Amino acid sequence: MVDETLPGRDAAIGGEVSRVEAFEALAANQDLTEKPTSVWRLGLRRFVHRRNGVAGMIIVGFMALVAIFAPVIAPYDPTEVLIGKEDVSKREPPCIHLLGCDESKPQHIMGTDGNVRDFFSRIVHGSRVSLTLGFSTVTVAIVIGAFLGAIAGYWGGWIDNITMRIMDVILGFPALILAIAIVAALGPGIRNALIAIAIVSIPQYARVMRASVLTIKEVDYVAASRALGANPWRILATRILPNSLTPLVVLGTLGIATVILEAAGLGFLGLGAQPPQAEWGSMLAAERNQVFSAPHLVFFPGLAIMLTVLGFNLMGDGLRDALDPTLNE
Amino acid sequence: MRRTRLIALLALFALVIAACGGTAEESTDTTGGEEPTETTAAPAEEPTETTEAPMVDFEGAVLDAGGCDYGGKINTITAVDQYTVQFDLCSPDPAFLAKAAFTPFGIQPAEHIEATGGAPLENPIGTGPFMLDAWNRGDSIVFKRNDNYYGQVPAFETLVYRWATEGAQRLLELQSGSVDQITNPSPDDFETIQNDPNLQFIPIANPNVFYVGFTNTFAPFDDVKVRQAIAQGIDRQRIIDTFYPAGSEVASHFTPCSIDNGCAGDSWYDFNVDAAKALLEEAGLGGGFSTTIYYRDVFRVYLPEPGLVAQDIQAQLKENLNIDAEVVVLESGEFIDKATSGQLEGIHLLGWSADYPHVTNFLDFHFNENQAQFGNNFPEIYDELKVGAAIADAATAAPNYEAANNAVKELVPMIPIAHGAAASAALATVENANYPPFGAPQFEFSNPGKDTFVYMQNNEPISLYCADETDGESLSPCQQVVEPLYTYATDSGEVVPRLATECVPNDDLTQWICSLREGVTFHDGSAFDANDVVASWSAGLDAANPLHVGNTGSFDYYAYLWDGLINAPESEG
Repeated sequence: MVDETLPGRDAAIGGEVSRVEAFEALAANQDLTEKPTSVWRLGLRRFVHRRNGVAGMIIVGFMALVAIFAPVIAPYDPTEVLIGKEDVSKREPPCIHLLGCDESKPQHIMGTDGNVRDFFSRIVHGSRVSLTLGFSTVTVAIVIGAFLGAIAGYWGGWIDNITMRIMDVILGFPALILAIAIVAALGPGIRNALIAIAIVSIPQYARVMRASVLTIKEVDYVAASRALGANPWRILATRILPNSLTPLVVLGTLGIATVILEAAGLGFLGLGAQPPQAEWGSMLAAERNQVFSAPHLVFFPGLAIMLTVLGFNLMGDGLRDALDPTLNE
Repeated sequence: MRRTRLIALLALFALVIAACGGTAEESTDTTGGEEPTETTAAPAEEPTETTEAPMVDFEGAVLDAGGCDYGGKINTITAVDQYTVQFDLCSPDPAFLAKAAFTPFGIQPAEHIEATGGAPLENPIGTGPFMLDAWNRGDSIVFKRNDNYYGQVPAFETLVYRWATEGAQRLLELQSGSVDQITNPSPDDFETIQNDPNLQFIPIANPNVFYVGFTNTFAPFDDVKVRQAIAQGIDRQRIIDTFYPAGSEVASHFTPCSIDNGCAGDSWYDFNVDAAKALLEEAGLGGGFSTTIYYRDVFRVYLPEPGLVAQDIQAQLKENLNIDAEVVVLESGEFIDKATSGQLEGIHLLGWSADYPHVTNFLDFHFNENQAQFGNNFPEIYDELKVGAAIADAATAAPNYEAANNAVKELVPMIPIAHGAAASAALATVENANYPPFGAPQFEFSNPGKDTFVYMQNNEPISLYCADETDGESLSPCQQVVEPLYTYATDSGEVVPRLATECVPNDDLTQWICSLREGVTFHDGSAFDANDVVASWSAGLDAANPLHVGNTGSFDYYAYLWDGLINAPESEG
């Protein structure tokens, strides 16, 4: 079944809205040389009025800053074993001098882990892995998915059939199980986790892109370009793609949250980041049996994952609301 | 095989003649006296020169391997008379008694084994201090006191086995007083138990070792200097201090000192980074190299936190010797297969817990000339071990084990790291609570001060026919009911007589003659004699015996400790 989802139509409607506004401006005798307000600019205006979306953006922005300035923020190297260097033992609870922890003890605001490493430094550096993985995986998946979806939607026929059936097959597997199978075949590690999650994410972008293309390729300005003899690739690149990006951006933002969760899942299973690299999922897995004796070692990575995913979800929801004209007055 | 068939035919013929002649089979009403097998059993043939003349009314059974070509340790087991059993071995075995004291070699009545078709899985009958009363599947096993026990009769009437997989739950049950003793509390709880006045902490001195192994057929571990460098470049004390419970110790030798000759020879290298770096320089690897650390993520007493220890060794190799090591965790079965067959090209983290208290269980198993785990084996080690293994007296064998241990230190096939501590815990009110270094608690010596003693272990037993079980959860309850010829002392690795009063070897340790305890009765009231010993061992050891059935039929400990089953099909051999 062709998935003629709303986002495609939304984009088309968004395009029409901008044209309607241009005509309104004309009617108001405004300067015709002034460019009409784009759907993106309108979206941004709407986005800043949505509190949830802004809250999500603040969280994501905070996490991004933490990741960028991790070496400055973290007091220790995330892989540095402190045995013999400080008077600390493994799995020590948080010690914050401001909150009354004995000044003679070294300060570890999130405690130490099982290998006597500063847990705060590992959490901070873990943000780099998760965000990098999230952004790069979704970028790879969007590029490949959008390309496949655009071709399938524009040319149709057997190309469409074959491409979309392959996508259906991939979608037929539970995403995490398929990712585990791919990593098991490629071998554990961050790079292979990225490849695995990207592969399982491609179909959703391909389907959304195809639906957008199916809608947009029938509108007048595309037909006009075609009538003028424009190259199909040129039509795709300059007429269809820019008007199909909105749903992809929304989906991609929400997708980052999913990717971070899946990467943490792979890390938890020992298939993602490898020791001694700091990654939230593998940190959670390493100390999962200490949930009663050293709860801080599962609480902080869990909290970090939860916050980041929440941030991207809120931001994704806000973007969707802001960029969807049907939800705006 | 022809010989075996001939013996079988003769046996069958003899049985037919006996049946037609109507001889008084019931004359030996204590055991029946019949060898249960058809293929290898026959009435005792002419006694060997070392045996006495058989009693007139006793027809002793024989288990005959038909020679030693099958590769195993046991040649014949003969019921010489009602209370004498003779074991003829294919090669010297100074550890014979230490092995024979293991629970899988417990004795049950010949008739009972036959009546259950070789699979008394839920109804063992033995001679032990407790007899099985009821097995409430999924809940508990209840034992009653054996009032006719020849040894110390238990002070309480009922022994109950329960189980819980989580260490925290077992401790909770103990703290609440609903059980009297538990096994294997989590190492993290050791301190809690020691500080609780209502509990007693019982260290288990089961000898074990955790080591870092190399396969010397892969570069750069083919260079002894590299192995020696790593041996001196890892701070083993730091690993014990950080990751092991109290009572654990740095390994001075591969074999723990609690085992005779385990600590013969020089102690292991001290931690010395400068010396290690110099050795790496000499090997041309002063700048370090890349390798892999393999391990399995399975808790063992010798390695309680495998992932953390692997990462600490990774960090130490990088920090001390600039060696970049990738940590790779393998599935347990795959890891053991690859490690023991010498397929792991890097470093592997493995350990060993003693099966029986003898130095051969550590050194000979790991460093014999056919062992593939560490790559090419060293005659400097295994030649000495061969000589030592043929000497019964520990003091006499000491120079050989000293030479072998020194060669291990010099050639570094692996680095011994730690001897891990394990523990049990009991209520403080339990008198003489014990957990021997080998085997399960001997409850007949304990007194909870009430009629019922409740013990909680990790899991439910698989079956109670322990000739064909290997898990500790099965062996422990079996031990309360069924007894071997010898058993392990409660406080050391020594073996003490049980159903045998003594077993005496010949000079070259290839023949052991065991005198059995007289007047002992099984829990069903039948009398114990030499034919029960032969029948019990035959059912486990002889794959062609129709009663070689068991639970899975693999009889792993018979195959493993006696170097293979008699008449084993190719797949079992």
